[in-house]
Amino acid sequence: MRFWPRSLLGQVLLSVAAALLVAQAISAHLLFRASEDRREQRMVGSLAVQLIAAANGSQDQRPGPRSGRRMRVEVSPVLRALPGDRTEPRLTVALAKVLREEGLAEAQEVRVISRPALGDPRILQRLANGRPVGQGAALTGARVMLASVPRPDGTWLTARALSPPRERAAMRGLLVQTAVLFAVLLLAMWLILRRITGPLAALTKRVETFARTQSTDGQLAPEGPEDVRRLIEAQGRMEARIAGMIDEKDVMLGAIGHDLKTPLAALRVRIESVEDDAERGRMAAGIEDITRTLDDILSLARVGRATEPPERTELAALAASVVEEFEDMGDPVELAEGPRVVARVHVTWAKRALRNLVSNAVRYGGDAAVEVLRDGSEAVLRVTDNGPGIPAEHLSDMTEPFTRGEASRNRETGGAGLGLTLARAIAEAHGGRLVLANRPEGGLSAELRFPA
Amino acid sequence: MTETEATRILLVDDEATLREPLAAYLTRQGFVVREAASAAAARTALLEATPDLVLLDVMMPGEDGLSLCRHLVESKSVPTILLTAKGEPTDRIVGLEIGADDYVVKPFEPRELVARIRSVLRRAARPAPAPEDDALYEFEGWRLDPLKRRLTDPEGTTVPISTAEFRLLTAFLDRPRQVVDRDRLLDLVQGREAHLFDRAVDNQISRLRRKIEADSRNPHFIQTVRGGGYRFAADVRRVAAP
Repeated sequence: MRFWPRSLLGQVLLSVAAALLVAQAISAHLLFRASEDRREQRMVGSLAVQLIAAANGSQDQRPGPRSGRRMRVEVSPVLRALPGDRTEPRLTVALAKVLREEGLAEAQEVRVISRPALGDPRILQRLANGRPVGQGAALTGARVMLASVPRPDGTWLTARALSPPRERAAMRGLLVQTAVLFAVLLLAMWLILRRITGPLAALTKRVETFARTQSTDGQLAPEGPEDVRRLIEAQGRMEARIAGMIDEKDVMLGAIGHDLKTPLAALRVRIESVEDDAERGRMAAGIEDITRTLDDILSLARVGRATEPPERTELAALAASVVEEFEDMGDPVELAEGPRVVARVHVTWAKRALRNLVSNAVRYGGDAAVEVLRDGSEAVLRVTDNGPGIPAEHLSDMTEPFTRGEASRNRETGGAGLGLTLARAIAEAHGGRLVLANRPEGGLSAELRFPA
Repeated sequence: MTETEATRILLVDDEATLREPLAAYLTRQGFVVREAASAAAARTALLEATPDLVLLDVMMPGEDGLSLCRHLVESKSVPTILLTAKGEPTDRIVGLEIGADDYVVKPFEPRELVARIRSVLRRAARPAPAPEDDALYEFEGWRLDPLKRRLTDPEGTTVPISTAEFRLLTAFLDRPRQVVDRDRLLDLVQGREAHLFDRAVDNQISRLRRKIEADSRNPHFIQTVRGGGYRFAADVRRVAAP
């Protein structure tokens, strides 16, 4: 269906045009048949009159002006067949019927043939004598009908009638009519459909914008027919509701963040008065753990709701910044020398995603190697470790919230299991993805792939 | 580090659960602390005596911390550190744009807070910074936005740098074509990451070079000077922030 248009406007216009074409073709055919019937009747009538007149012997009594124009009925022993002759069974039947009704005895034996007008000896003879044939119609290509009946004396009466020209004017009228109908109907359809497809196209664009921004700015005013108006109004209400829910969520998260972080801060200050250094260290680590989880939850809820557009960023420098943080903590993290790779990212988010991957690699694999590269149309931040990797059947679960490497949910290894979820959410918010794979040489490879 | 004279701090936070232990902690650290439970109470306290520094919670019922901070910056030159539960970078920029001297995210490590208080006081003791403080630095097409701590290369691509690298680069950009020795650099960039610098100014230099030099083994901008120092070998302009 290569030519089937995909838009509503195109499909409707094409269907209407096709339906119109079929309807016009049928009516043209009917019109043509009617016109052919009329031609036949005229010829049958002309032939019948001549034959009946001749059979009644009245031909000679009908001189006058007509004899000059009309060809005389020929009396001959037998009609010689010429090349180009064609029997006309339909005309034969029609003529026989007329003759029978007129009471002509030889009606059953009537025969009608046609031959090219310029192949008929009588016509050629008349033309040679300078006498008119037919009503001045062009003879070239025209056919002449010859109807013969036997006479009691064994000779044949043959009447001639020129086949009248086809009704071309009528057909031309039909064509013009079709064209005008096409133009008017399609224009009207186009105008009506524009009133539907215009607002629909605007609505599609609007929904796409909303999906990206979740902001109710730039809502559409309802337009077009009632059905479309109602759709636009309903969509507007839905947008307002979604935006309201998201705002509510942000406010709620802000409140949760504030209400939990202040007491955490108080706790963090209070433990400074704990004398036992080791005990205080454990308490501080506990508070830090809670804080990190809280931050992860808040970030996960906020990701994709960035207030600023992403900026062109040099990923090697971004990776270096993250790797340096780990180096400063004394973790075995290495950054491979690589090319300059630029992608549009939110720097804080991208750093956070990479930090989570490196931190996982260090925690579960003992070390981490970071690599920045370009792979086709994607900019890749790859973190590899030499740890045990992840059993293949668990690879896809790993990015679900609160999933951790060990089934035991042992808190000693730290983290709430949001690290990979957040990394994936951040990659997806940039139109990219997170790819986890076990390396053939052992260990896990985690890749943040951003469209470059 | 000891203060010759006890530093007076005004601590403004509506949450008594945090305010009281924090005041106690800061007192133990040798500060003289006055507490205020709201912006209104803080304004009253400010009328009575001007502190050396204000620690200000951002989220408070009634007048919030940002509004009070604006008032402080406009009327008195009291150094201010904002305390907040939010950690988004845009929040930090808003706070710094208003004129706060620093920004601490809850929950903070009390020792880090003290380090920041001292750092802000040290900076406040120096002559007032140039009024063009938020103007961008520009060198050979590179731009550094001191407020957003954002470095862009000549093509406009963001090159992420750490806080330490930002401080180091700013120190160089303020002294183009001058030889700066390691001790001076250490002094200039000492902030809360002081412990990092103690260990390795050279390490930070090499990290910064990796990001801004086309060939970090043959540096064009940050050149090593024989005898233990560095020189930023490019002209630096200040341009108004867009």
